[in-house]
Parts: sequence; structure tokens; C-alpha cells
Amino acid sequence: MSDTAPDRIHPAARMHAEEYRAGQIDRREFLTRATCLGVASTVAYGMIGLDAPALAQTATQDGGSLRIQMEVRALKDPRITDWPQIANIYRGWLEYLSEYQRDGSIRPMLLESWEVSDDARTYTLKLRPGITWSNGDALTAEHVAHNFRRWCDRTVEGNSMASRMGDMVDPETDQIREGVLEVVDDTTLRLNLASPDIAIIANVADYPGAVVHPSYDGSDPANGDMIGTGPFRLESHEVGVKSVLRRREDFDWWGKEAEGFGGASLDEIVYLDYGSDPAAWLAALESDEVDMLYESVGEFIEIMDSLDLVKSEAVTASTICIRANQEAEVDGQKPYADVRVRKALQMAMDNNVLLELGYSGLGVTAENHHVCPIHPDYAEVDNPVVYDPEGAMALLEEAGFADFEHELISIDDDWRKNTTDAAAALLRDAGIKVRRTVLPGNTFWNDWAKFPFSSTNWNQRPLGVQVLALAYRSGEAWNETAYASPEFDAKLAEAMGIASAEERKVVMKELEQMLIDDGVIIQPYWRSLFRHYKQGVTGAEVHPLYEIPTYQLGFAAT
Amino acid sequence: MLAFLLRRIAVMLLTALCLTFVVFFLTNLQPNLEKLAKAEGNSRMTDAEVTSFLETRGYARNVFVKYGEWLGVLPGFVIEQPDGSVRGRCFERADSVPPDAPAFCGVLQGDWGYSSVFRDDVGSIVATRLGLTAKLMFWVMVVMVPSALILGVLAGMREGSRTDRSLSTVSILSTATPEYVSGVILIAVFASSAVGLRWFKGTAASAMENATLENFLLPVVTIALYGTGYIARMTRASMAEVMTQQYIRTARLKGVRFRDIVLKHALRNALIAPFTVIMLQFPWLLNGVVIVETLFNYKGFGWTLVQAAGNNDIELLLAVSVVSVFVVLVTQLISDIGYVYLNPRISVA
Repeated sequence: MSDTAPDRIHPAARMHAEEYRAGQIDRREFLTRATCLGVASTVAYGMIGLDAPALAQTATQDGGSLRIQMEVRALKDPRITDWPQIANIYRGWLEYLSEYQRDGSIRPMLLESWEVSDDARTYTLKLRPGITWSNGDALTAEHVAHNFRRWCDRTVEGNSMASRMGDMVDPETDQIREGVLEVVDDTTLRLNLASPDIAIIANVADYPGAVVHPSYDGSDPANGDMIGTGPFRLESHEVGVKSVLRRREDFDWWGKEAEGFGGASLDEIVYLDYGSDPAAWLAALESDEVDMLYESVGEFIEIMDSLDLVKSEAVTASTICIRANQEAEVDGQKPYADVRVRKALQMAMDNNVLLELGYSGLGVTAENHHVCPIHPDYAEVDNPVVYDPEGAMALLEEAGFADFEHELISIDDDWRKNTTDAAAALLRDAGIKVRRTVLPGNTFWNDWAKFPFSSTNWNQRPLGVQVLALAYRSGEAWNETAYASPEFDAKLAEAMGIASAEERKVVMKELEQMLIDDGVIIQPYWRSLFRHYKQGVTGAEVHPLYEIPTYQLGFAAT
Repeated sequence: MLAFLLRRIAVMLLTALCLTFVVFFLTNLQPNLEKLAKAEGNSRMTDAEVTSFLETRGYARNVFVKYGEWLGVLPGFVIEQPDGSVRGRCFERADSVPPDAPAFCGVLQGDWGYSSVFRDDVGSIVATRLGLTAKLMFWVMVVMVPSALILGVLAGMREGSRTDRSLSTVSILSTATPEYVSGVILIAVFASSAVGLRWFKGTAASAMENATLENFLLPVVTIALYGTGYIARMTRASMAEVMTQQYIRTARLKGVRFRDIVLKHALRNALIAPFTVIMLQFPWLLNGVVIVETLFNYKGFGWTLVQAAGNNDIELLLAVSVVSVFVVLVTQLISDIGYVYLNPRISVA
């Protein structure tokens, strides 16, 4: 796959290089951003035509205990995991076939390599030799096949891997389709798909895709010493309080010798739960009770900048969508079934304002089509939405909805509420009537896909097509817009069959334009994630999918 | 006296029974069960998956039957799963019902159930968390009671004097400031780099294992401040009233020193009213700590209540209610009995 080449430079870094040349950002800012995006500093210097200064490699000391502020939730069978925080704990002892890196590229982890046929229907997975489980068994292709069977079992309630396995699941039996798995030898597994799927490697890197031992029965991973291939084991786990990982002694972890891995230098990793209030996280840092945060948010970013901490940033494809549900009925009519109404809402929005007011400008503006510049298959559209409040009102009058009062719903939190508030203000500026409703988190998610007009946050997926398939294909469970366009579905199916990201871009461009023209969503900006940690902590940079690769963490040698 | 005690205990049991049924009924409403299923399974489960989750785990049944099982007067359910194994209230998921599994497993059998949020036995969770809150309450009492009594007595012994006015102002101020205000102010002033004093820690998470002056003072003071003002006001009123009594005037006319009048004649009589107030502080503290424990990340009983309620953790919430009923009624009982000893004119029998 072309998007897995190790020397791939992050597209956002190229974008920043352009900004540097145009004088919009200075050298320092460019380097921070580019290296934050995972570009090696020597390469980053090269991108703006400078020579890298000689830098001393920071060596890691062996041992130490690192304390991380993170929500400690109850652990679950990996395949039904619904929060990255849960995965970050079992990441200590469970590992993945492939690993999604901070710059958006994917590298093999338990796999040594993979090959995809040109029609994207045959995958040959080669396992890395010499990997053993913590009970001494060797990892074999049969074990991996067992995991694919687990992932494809749709009868398990909440199995989120089943939706990522797509066509491999047999709709008749809700199990893996006969003949998909072919164990070639001890270290080779072949997948024979019925229809092309380009996202498999990316999907198995996602946090529910942890590879488990065949003896695992789906019980709570916190019960007993769960067998895994990773360097740590779970010492204790107290939900809502703390979770402790300790390095396995007398265990020969494969990553020690593998090129590009290494690490696992810490003796102990402690996750401490400080609740959901960022003020408490700040207090924990200031009181020297933690060394590293899970995430820095909102106005606290500025405060933490003023402390003696290291800040890291990741540009992500995480975003918020303010969307209308086209099938929703309000007072006996379907206001959002009319494309003119949806277009009007879109035209009344100034995405820059939403970014500034909703997320303090900590991100990049987007173009209302939910494909991000960091996606390998992103293409720039020819006709983006233009901010035009008067035009919006005119369209509404034409559609006969000028007097209609929209009810804009959002969850009760910081940035999602603020962005939605800003959106409501922009609508009012354009003369459109709008009423705001704020719902608490636990009631909001019960009905999130059915609200007539509301905002939803979407996390990043590695490929642009994946998001489109998950959220905008007709009849999908997560299709909150009720968008049903046969034309879009057909184009999307075509895009899903093109393995090369470069070639896929052509189709993607048309798909993006369709979403804009049909006024499906208002998608104002891409969020950047931030994290602060203490000087001397290594491998703690924030990851766009909130992953904390436990083996990379350490303390710099003094 | 014995009849009084028995009557009180019967009232307590009846209250606990009624309250737990109300909590049980509310937590078993359909939307709450859906929430529970989504928290337990996957937060993005479909409606069909939620239904099957609730059915296979015994939630989708009559609420009276379920309450009976929780109490331990009805046998625990056994439900066959789609894959042929069985799940029951009294045993882990297995291929068939284990021969040693008990038929009844409810509160009467000493089984408080299993917390769906914390994945642990309710009994041990409540014990741990109650222990932590007891530690917090002990130090709050140590700070609050003596300071409140001293403030109140000093203010009340000369009603209307300058000492009285200034001390009363202080106690009104402190009791009029809710914890979520005083806590935030204390953190901002003494623990953050905003003011820069940083004498204490703004979080008490480490105090759960190892409480020091540095990490425990702010939460203790935050709770104590509110109660101090309140008890001091009560003590002052009671003291002022005693000081107007005939026997005090007689003592003064006889030329007894003012100090001796206050300490030997007035104090004991003035402490009857504050005693009740102090006893009533216990139940208030148990629930009043909710805010402070959340603010300072001290994971005690109040925090457990918030987590249990926020996640619809049925059995944990029930246990929390039982403990609360117990604490409220037992402290009232103690205050009633204590009254008898402090004031010979009152009798409970």
C-alpha cells in the first residue's frame, strides 16, 4: 500500500511548509508543527531548505515509574471496547497486528509485512517471527485467524470490530464467511475477501483490534493475569481510581530487538483518575501527583503553557458535525428533507468564527465534507461553501421555511456546547430563528442519531473513505443525517475498491463535492489535540487517536 | 428505654425497606436500564442489542420479583443464554448451574450484590469508601467542633459586645459560603500558581493512602468552614440565653469571677442545643462531602454515590441508600439518648 511507505511525509507538514514559505508562520513554529506531525527533524529542516543542527540523541534511562492522568474505566473484552482510555491500559500487555502512527501512517507491529492484491481482495499477512505469549506459547497464524473469527462474531452485543470487518461477516450466520481465512503456514495468513476492502490493515490497528490469546474467554481482562504479547502486566485495577501496569520480569519481549520498536524501559506505569474536570488535572500536575496528562483542553492549554512543561500537538481528523436529520419530523413536517433548507444552514456558517469561538482557534478550518487533509485520500474540492448569510435567508424564504424555528441540540460540555452556541448565534445573525437545547451526556447519547438538528463529535478514522462509509452511506447505523443517495453509495463503493490513495483521490473529490452540494453537514473545523507533560518524559507525545503506546514511554537519562 | 430502642430500630428497618424500594424502582425504569446496558456493553449498541443484553442478564423482568431477589426472599434467576450456557444471579456464567450455587443470594444472606461500574463486590466497595470518608469526617470534626464551640461561647457570653458582633460576622460569612465556593477560593489562593502561594495541594487524591497536612488540609478546612459557622451560631444563641438566666445573675451578684461563671455554671447548660446540631452534622457530612470529594478528587463515599448514580449502578446505589438511612437514624438515636444525660428534665421512656 502506498500510504504505508515509511518515508511518507505528513500532508499537513507539507501544508505548514507552504505556510512557512508564505511567511505565515516562523521557522520555530514550522519545526514544532512538522515534528509534532512525526516528521523527523532532519527531514523537517530539509523541507524548508535548511540544514539540521547536530542534535544529541536523548537516551532513555532504564526503570522508573511514570504517573499518567487518565480516566480509569472498567476493562472490557477488547473487541467491545468503546473508549480509547480502556485500550490504553490493556495496551500494556495486548498488541496489534499493525500500528497507527502519530503522522497518520501505518506500520506493521505483530505483522512483519503484508501484501494486498491489486483488486484489494486478497491480503497476505506475514507474522513477525519469534513472538511469544506471556505463557510461553509462540504466536502463530492460527492464533491470528482465531482473532479474525472473534472480530467477525456479530452475535456478541456491542462487538465494534464486526462493523470494521465489513464483508468478511456472513450476514446469514453473523459469523465469519466460509473460506475467508486461509492459514498458509505457521506465520502466514491469507484473507480471501468477497469484495474489495482497502481499510482492513487500518481497521485492525484501531483500539478494539488488540490480539488476544486463543484461551481468552471474553471475561473482564482485570481478572487474573491475562495472557498477552506485550511487555507489561496488570498489577492492579481500581475503576475510577487507578490502574497499575508493571513490567514483566523474565519475559523476552519481541520488541526489544525489533527495528523501530525497543523501549519498554519503565518498571511501572500508573494511570490515575482525576475525573472529568480539567481544573483537577491542572491541580494534579501542579501538586506533582502526575507526570503526564491524557489531554490538555480549552483555556487550560494556555495556563499549562505558562508552566515548565513540554507541550505536544497532533493535528487530527477529529471534528464536530452540526447536522440535520433529513428524515426527522418536526411538528408533522420534514423540514430538513428540503436541500434548500440544509444549504441555507450551511451558508449561514462562517467556519472561521466557529473555530475561534467554539475551540479557541486550536485547530484548522474544514470544508463541510468530513475528509481531512491528513487523510491520504483527501482531495481539494472545486466549489467550497461560501459564507453568505443573506443568500441563506433568501433560500429559506424560497423553500417556505423562513419563519420556522430550528431547535439546535448539543451535549453539555466545553467545546461541543461552545461551537454549537456559536453556530446558533451565526444563524440568528442571518435572521434564522433558532432555539438551543443542551442535554447532559448520558441522555444525549441515547438518541444522538435521531435528533432533527444537533451537533455530534466524530473521532478520527485513518482513511477518508472509512468515515464516509460509516456516516453517510444509506441505512448505516451511524448515519445520523439519514442521507440516502444511491449515486453517492455507488461512487463510494467504487472508491472502496481502489487500493492506491493517489488514484482514489479522483473519486474522493466527487464524493466530497456531493456532500457539499447536498448540504449534508456543517463541519466547521478539525481539532488539534494537545498534551502537556513534564520535562524529561520521553515517548509521551499526543497521538491523534489518543493512543498511549506504553512501550514507548520512559524517562530521559540524566 | 429498651422499648424505645426497639421501636427506633423497627422504624429504621421500615424506612430502609421503603427507601430501597423507591431507589430500586427508579433505577429499574426502562431508560435507566438502557443506559446501564450501554455503559456495560458498548455505548453505541443498537436497540436490538440492548434488548438482548437486558434479557440475557435478567433485567427485563417484573420489578417486584427482582426486588425480592435482591432482598433474598425469592430465589435468584437462572437464564439460559443463546449459546447454551447459563447465567444466574448467584453464580458466574457457566455451562450448567454449579451444584454448590446457593438458591437465594440477597441482602438477607449477606450478599450485597455486584457493582456494575466498579466490577467488584458492593460490600467491599462500600467498606473501603466509607473508611476513607470516615477519615475525612474525623479530621473535619477535630477541626470543626472545638473551633465552633470556642467561637460560639466567646460570642455568646457577652451578647451585643464588640467580640460578639465580629465573631458573629465571621460565622455568618463562613456558613453562608457553600463548599463549592470556598473550596474553589481556597484552591485558587493556596494551591495554584494563579496567586503563587502554593502552600498546599489542590488535590487530595494522594491523601487516600497517605494523608499529610499538605494534601489534606484544604478539603478538611473547606468542609469544616461551613459547619463551624453553623454550630457557632447555635452555640452563641444557646449561650446567650443561658447567660440571661436567674442563676447566672445570682452568681454574678454573689461576686463569682466571670470566667468561673462561664466555665462552671453556663457552659454545660449551653451545650445541650449544639450537641444535637453536632450529631445532625454526621448525616449532613456523609452527603455534604459529595461536592468536596469530587472537587478534591478524594474517592470516598460521596464520590461513590456520584459514580453509582451517574452510571445507574443499581446494587451499589441501594447499598449506599441503606448506609445513609442507617447513619441518619443512628445519629438521631445517639442525640436523643445523649439528651437524656445532658438534661435530666428529659426522659425518653
